[in-house]
Amino acid sequence: MTASAPGAPGEGGRPGARDIPVWDPLVRLIHWSVALAVLLNATVLDPEGRPHEVAGYAVAGLVAVRLAWGLIGPGPARFATFPPNPAAALRHLRHWRAGAGTVHLSHNPLGALMVYNLWLTLLALVVTGVMMGTIRFFGIQWVEEAHEMAFDWLMISVALHVGGVVIDTLRTGVPLVRAMVTGRKRVPAGARVR
Amino acid sequence: MTVLPTGPGGRRALSLAVLILLQAACAAFFLGDVLIDFEATAANDLAHVWVEGVVSLALVAAIVLQLIELRHVMQRTERAEQGIRAARGEMQALIGQFFDDWALTPAERDVALLVLKGIDNEGIAALRGTAAGTVRAQTAAVYGKAGVDGRAQLLSLFMEELFADDSPDDRAPTARTGSGNG
Repeated sequence: MTASAPGAPGEGGRPGARDIPVWDPLVRLIHWSVALAVLLNATVLDPEGRPHEVAGYAVAGLVAVRLAWGLIGPGPARFATFPPNPAAALRHLRHWRAGAGTVHLSHNPLGALMVYNLWLTLLALVVTGVMMGTIRFFGIQWVEEAHEMAFDWLMISVALHVGGVVIDTLRTGVPLVRAMVTGRKRVPAGARVR
Repeated sequence: MTVLPTGPGGRRALSLAVLILLQAACAAFFLGDVLIDFEATAANDLAHVWVEGVVSLALVAAIVLQLIELRHVMQRTERAEQGIRAARGEMQALIGQFFDDWALTPAERDVALLVLKGIDNEGIAALRGTAAGTVRAQTAAVYGKAGVDGRAQLLSLFMEELFADDSPDDRAPTARTGSGNG
């Protein structure tokens, strides 16, 4: 759909690629810190132990800051830039299959849904986790089950998230992992940007 | 890949972000602790828990203020970078305008630009693949057309232009001519 010829002048490199700053340091730090905490809690840390709890609290704080940042942060980090919109997500999915690639500077509509899903799941994990430490809910079956269900859903979500990142990177040509490390999206020449 | 920010504004934003996140992790931990203590403490001992709760909330308030500060730092950095970009563009336009006024030939323009960038005659000759004598002749032509007697004076023409352009917030001494590199 875009007017650009894909293999324009055979200049090898990426002549017109633009490096656009997208993710501020806070967003990047939160992303990788949460990923690390989840990884630690899911693998090496004893679920009964104190470090597991501390990591959980850290995730709660990180997500809370991110949510506040969604209100007062810079453009790409704001909720208003990527409102949860299932209809737009479906449309995005259809366009995906049709092969039209639009580069979204913030999250794409499908990615936005995943982001909200991840935040809610993490909060559910934290809330049920804290509940398990209280006298009132200690040892109550459904709380533990909810915590485990939330964890399972988080693992599924993480798998989908990583898959989405890989597919979007291949489709749009924007290296997304690099963007979350350096904060800049390298947008290929001629791509439609939103 | 530049993971770490380069400018002072970027570095400040990064350290602020790290600080905010450390405090947020602590605040979450304290608040969770307060909740659990609140439930586990007998009613007559609650004063202590309340104090803890208020302290935790103060920490949260501090974090919010720092978030706002971080936003300001980022906005200032962005504005400064825009200013630098604009100045760079204007400097280029200004140089081009001077060259036009002096009616430099394309070759002289190239040489003059390299002179402004601080490259010596041998370097320019090597870059342009010409003889050193040719470059000497070209620079002499440039100095003649510009009405200066050498490299330093050519540079000072542009420096003067920079100093003369007083911005509203420092309209102090504009007449800072002469050799002012202490």
